[in-house]
Amino acid sequence: MKLSVYSLKNILFQGEAVSLNCKTTMGEITVLDHHEPLITILAEGQVKVIAKDGKEHLFPIRSGFLEVRPENEARCIVEQ
Amino acid sequence: MESPQNIKKRLKSVNNIGQITKAMELVSATKMRKSQEIALASRPYSFAALDLLANLTLLENLKKEELPELLRQRKVSKVLFVLVASDKGLAGAFNSSVFRKFELHMKRDEEKYPNEEHLFLAVGEKSSAYLTKKGFKIAKKFVQAGDYTTPEDVKPITDFIVQGYLDKKWDRVVIISTHFRTALKQEPHIRRFLPIDFDHIADAIREIVPERGKFAELIKEQSINFVPTRADVKDYLIEPSAKKVLERLVKHLCFMQMYHLVLEANASEHSARRMAMKTASDNASDLSVSLNLQYNKSRQSKITTEISEISAGAEAQSQ
Repeated sequence: MKLSVYSLKNILFQGEAVSLNCKTTMGEITVLDHHEPLITILAEGQVKVIAKDGKEHLFPIRSGFLEVRPENEARCIVEQ
Repeated sequence: MESPQNIKKRLKSVNNIGQITKAMELVSATKMRKSQEIALASRPYSFAALDLLANLTLLENLKKEELPELLRQRKVSKVLFVLVASDKGLAGAFNSSVFRKFELHMKRDEEKYPNEEHLFLAVGEKSSAYLTKKGFKIAKKFVQAGDYTTPEDVKPITDFIVQGYLDKKWDRVVIISTHFRTALKQEPHIRRFLPIDFDHIADAIREIVPERGKFAELIKEQSINFVPTRADVKDYLIEPSAKKVLERLVKHLCFMQMYHLVLEANASEHSARRMAMKTASDNASDLSVSLNLQYNKSRQSKITTEISEISAGAEAQSQ
């Protein structure tokens, strides 16, 4: 899926990703390809992104929002 | 005519001042570029956040009562004015133009709404000094934001404003700050901060990019539409609930807008200082040229006097 993770200071991740794992206020979730559209609040913790090339990216966050959009696209805005 | 020694002393001090202002000019130019870069780095984030807000409000045709407090209009009896100025001086008309705009606005406001109570919040050393001098009641002041604002610096300001609004300490928040139009042109702007209006936020974010110059090209590359059409919006799952997400997001947008305003004021301050210092070093070099001329003339006339004295003495002896 197409994933972008933005923070106020810079772009943390942008590109194709296999999975996104993060903690929301309702519990931990993993977003894979073709996830259903979703809007949720992220809780303090780590965001784990596995990119298409198999690389793992970890970002510690304080809070944020996640939006999974219909066309296999996800966007995260986070506060670090 | 002034003695050459005196002129020489003045010449030296003028040259020294020129050197200092030249150095300050260069430093400010670098700082201005850097603060512009910081402002631009947060743009993708702001667009994403705004997009999310637009989606959310379209999804839920929220009724008036369900809107978060920050989005709701209410009867205005107390207004909070936030005056954003710099911590340090030597920035030309940067501070005074903000204050002038503020005074004009206050005058108009008092005629229009004589019953409103006014409160004031100072951001920056200079603005608190100004408000104290004018005898306004300062609710709180925030100083020492530094050359480059970080989100951590701005957080307490927004928290204070939003909390006060929720506690009904004020019903409207107006911010007076400087808008960075281009590197050579900055204008004081008055914006309503609370209650929130989507158009206001969208405008504020669009304004991050200056009209001309290095960064102006960027906006053309990424043209972003703020208002999604009804057809794009599919059924979203919203957790925990639309109302809660909206509430959080709105608070967050407030913070973001404040962050941008302060960043913009920051960039404006540096560029105003750069211009002021440029004028000062130009003046110093003009002054040094004319002083140099004066020095040479006075030295020449001294030599002429001495020669005529010597030749007069020699003539007197030969007789």
